[in-house]
Amino acid sequence: MNLIPVVVNGLLVWAEPGATVLNVAQKAGAGIPTLCHHERTGTKGHCRLCLVEIAGRPRPEPACATTVESGMVVNTESEELTDLRRTVLELVALETNVEHDVKMASWLEEYRADPGRWGDPLSGRREREPIRDNAFFVREYDKCYNCRRCLDACGEGIQGVWALSFTGRVAEAAVTTVFDLPLTESGCVFCGNCVQVCPTGALVPLEEALLAEEAR
Amino acid sequence: MNRPLHVQPDRVVSTVCPYCGVGCRVDLYIKNEKIYRVMAQEGPPNYGALCVKGRFGLGFLHHPDRLTAPLIRREKGGELEPATWDEALSFATERLAQIAREHGPDALYFVSSAKASNEENYLMQKLARAAAGTHNVDHCARLCHSSSTAALSRSLGSAAMSNTIEEIPLSDVILVTGSNTVETHPVIGAMIKKAARNGAYLIVVDPRRVGLAEVADLWLRLRPGTDPVLFGAMARYLIETGRHDRRFVNRRAEGFDAWWESVKEYTLEHAESVTGVPAAKIREAAERYAAAGAAATYWAMGMTQHNHGTENVQALVNLAVLTGQLGKPGAGLNPLRGQNNVQGAGDMGALPNVYPGYQPTASAEVRQRWADTWGAPQPETPGVTMTQAFESIGRPGGIHAVYLMGEDPITSEPYQEHVRAALEKLDFLIVQDILKNETFPYADVVLPAASFAEKHGTFTNTDRRVQLIQPVFDPPGEARPDWWILAEAGRRLSLLTGQSNPDTWEYSGPDAIWDELRRNIPEMFGGIDHARLAREDLRWPCPSKTSPGVSVLFTDRFYTDTGRAKLMPAPWRPPAEQPGDDYPLVLSTGRVLYHWHGGVLSRRSALSKAYPEMKVEVNPADAERYHIADGKPVMVISRRGSIQATAWVTDRAPEGVVFAPIHFAEQSANRLTKNTYDPTSKIPEYKFAAVRLEPLDPAEAAAEI
Repeated sequence: MNLIPVVVNGLLVWAEPGATVLNVAQKAGAGIPTLCHHERTGTKGHCRLCLVEIAGRPRPEPACATTVESGMVVNTESEELTDLRRTVLELVALETNVEHDVKMASWLEEYRADPGRWGDPLSGRREREPIRDNAFFVREYDKCYNCRRCLDACGEGIQGVWALSFTGRVAEAAVTTVFDLPLTESGCVFCGNCVQVCPTGALVPLEEALLAEEAR
Repeated sequence: MNRPLHVQPDRVVSTVCPYCGVGCRVDLYIKNEKIYRVMAQEGPPNYGALCVKGRFGLGFLHHPDRLTAPLIRREKGGELEPATWDEALSFATERLAQIAREHGPDALYFVSSAKASNEENYLMQKLARAAAGTHNVDHCARLCHSSSTAALSRSLGSAAMSNTIEEIPLSDVILVTGSNTVETHPVIGAMIKKAARNGAYLIVVDPRRVGLAEVADLWLRLRPGTDPVLFGAMARYLIETGRHDRRFVNRRAEGFDAWWESVKEYTLEHAESVTGVPAAKIREAAERYAAAGAAATYWAMGMTQHNHGTENVQALVNLAVLTGQLGKPGAGLNPLRGQNNVQGAGDMGALPNVYPGYQPTASAEVRQRWADTWGAPQPETPGVTMTQAFESIGRPGGIHAVYLMGEDPITSEPYQEHVRAALEKLDFLIVQDILKNETFPYADVVLPAASFAEKHGTFTNTDRRVQLIQPVFDPPGEARPDWWILAEAGRRLSLLTGQSNPDTWEYSGPDAIWDELRRNIPEMFGGIDHARLAREDLRWPCPSKTSPGVSVLFTDRFYTDTGRAKLMPAPWRPPAEQPGDDYPLVLSTGRVLYHWHGGVLSRRSALSKAYPEMKVEVNPADAERYHIADGKPVMVISRRGSIQATAWVTDRAPEGVVFAPIHFAEQSANRLTKNTYDPTSKIPEYKFAAVRLEPLDPAEAAAEI
């Protein structure tokens, strides 16, 4: 396999054909923040946090969903990118309860995010009640920012079951089961691979939720 | 820690899931000495995935039924009373020695455990062979893949998956037969489904509409118990039309002529009439399989648990050899092993006919080598299988004492009433287990064991990967690791029998036991030690310290005496008990997603909430015929007993077939099954018995319908 040359932040990197800009940037030591991307589930391109600048392209592109090309010149850090990422983080934090998302907390600080500058926290998603409809895990959708990893783990990426689905549009968009049925009436096989990949603590093992309750 | 935790763990411990043979690597998150989260590790074999059992089904570890103190029943009819370890071990070994003196060592029987570690299985067979002086040792593979072992060993010289889990995406054609993979090996099942989505051609051969049948490109719904005819006809058709791999057969196989004679009758039309599968579908399956760049076969109990189980597997072996679908990445023969360490239990020689490393007990040279190693003369008399042993209790020359490690024969052996009667006749029974089970009330000595989460050791998964486990908790109460119990029992028994040198029972820990066994089977395990396992992923065969272990078996030769694969006739014979007037339906038994075998583990965990009661699958046509309503109680009746269950009217079961799960001890499917056995492997015929259905309340049922 012939490796192809890519420049990341001025550093020449030899990349495997088919690799993503994210793969190659990580190889070059560039830390790009990502929310939705997950190698195992194949989730990519939703959260827009990993936007990078590619020479000759009109707009920033998501590093996780862009395939490298020979001679590509990539820039992962700039004032514009920082502004963009700050905005993405602020909007997520405005809409979502991110208290259990460790990565999110550190990025909010790193990017000096100030969600309040967009107004009061949006109530719709934050007011969703926890759903405790099975013996194994709880869905606390107030903490969900629609990264879609759970959908991909359930469907195409890992399990091939498609018990989860999307409902609503824009600010109303949310993960649920098909027809919003309890999980026990869906095709769910309770493998918990969605819990495994959930980055926010929205999907949590029942035992863990109970322990957390006890501690409160 | 980069995880969205609601709770900060006291510690996170890396180990291996104790349920099935996939051997998923897990991280256990612990708080207040309880597991509250189980995460899959990213690497092989499970690549970040788990199933419901491994992720949410470990509650049995903390169940009040855990055995926590040694118990002794000092005389028959008395009570089980608490004892010290010293008392219990002395009592147990003195009784074993006494019975061996009175009836000979072959009156003792040792049942090892595919749930225990490699080191512990090694010690159990050493206990039988070195301390007691008998080859009477076996484990539950007798009930699951003994038919596969028989056919694969004699034809190919090795009884294990010939491909690896990582090769699943490399197969162009995947043939799955007699395996409800998405429920019984869910992580592999999901991988096979994904391979099919990515373009692999999936052929499923199964009477039931199992999960994989729903996504298969081609589903052959054969009549239960007719497998060798189907696979024989596929092979015959391929030879007849010149579609087999002539070069492979010429260079690497032998025995063609005798095999060819045996399938002369098996035309596609004949196969259609026997199996019920249209000839065109059988032809399509054969052509796809033979034409694939790489075709892999996966199977489980649907093939093995028949009175012709060995022939079933032999027919698959023959098909793979004739088409050259062996010894290539993504092409091979893959028995999906059930228990977490059932591969290891066999590798360690917990079988009546082989020592560790599958070295035959029939060989005087092999016996001498082990006699030297253990300082114990080795018996010539062959051992008997576990199923034969239970059948022999109470008969002249039969078994008088049984030492069970992690085995519950009341739920797992066929024809339960018959097993109960046998256990009552037994002079002495040792039950060594982590939990109370159905056999527990029959015990004369109870030895409480540590679980997988309370000890060191290794498990070998279905694709020959040897993996370290490590303690997460202290054992409850007085419970001790099986290896410690067995080493103590071995030392004491050898002093009493004078058979082996008691010093050969001194072990500092599982790593010392491993070192002893690997020195004696260098071609399989020479390069694997505990220190290396802590750093590297290894599988057998791994002969040297620099070898990572062999992934694809049989690339250049087979492990037979000639190096060639042996084609062997696989003649079909009908199941022992045909459905007839009073018992018009066929009973097939097996597992469901949420439970494990006899239910001892899974029913003591959160899993029981998801699947609380026994449901039998009844085809809608049969439900109508016998007035059975969905969700209503039904009696399932065979010539040997009856059970009550809830009817699930579904076309998952074909017309004429009732499927019953095996997990509910109080409604044990094994009250119905028949104690007929495959003559080669001695496996019980769990997949075929004649039954009838009756609504529990006929009047109510009639009113409802």
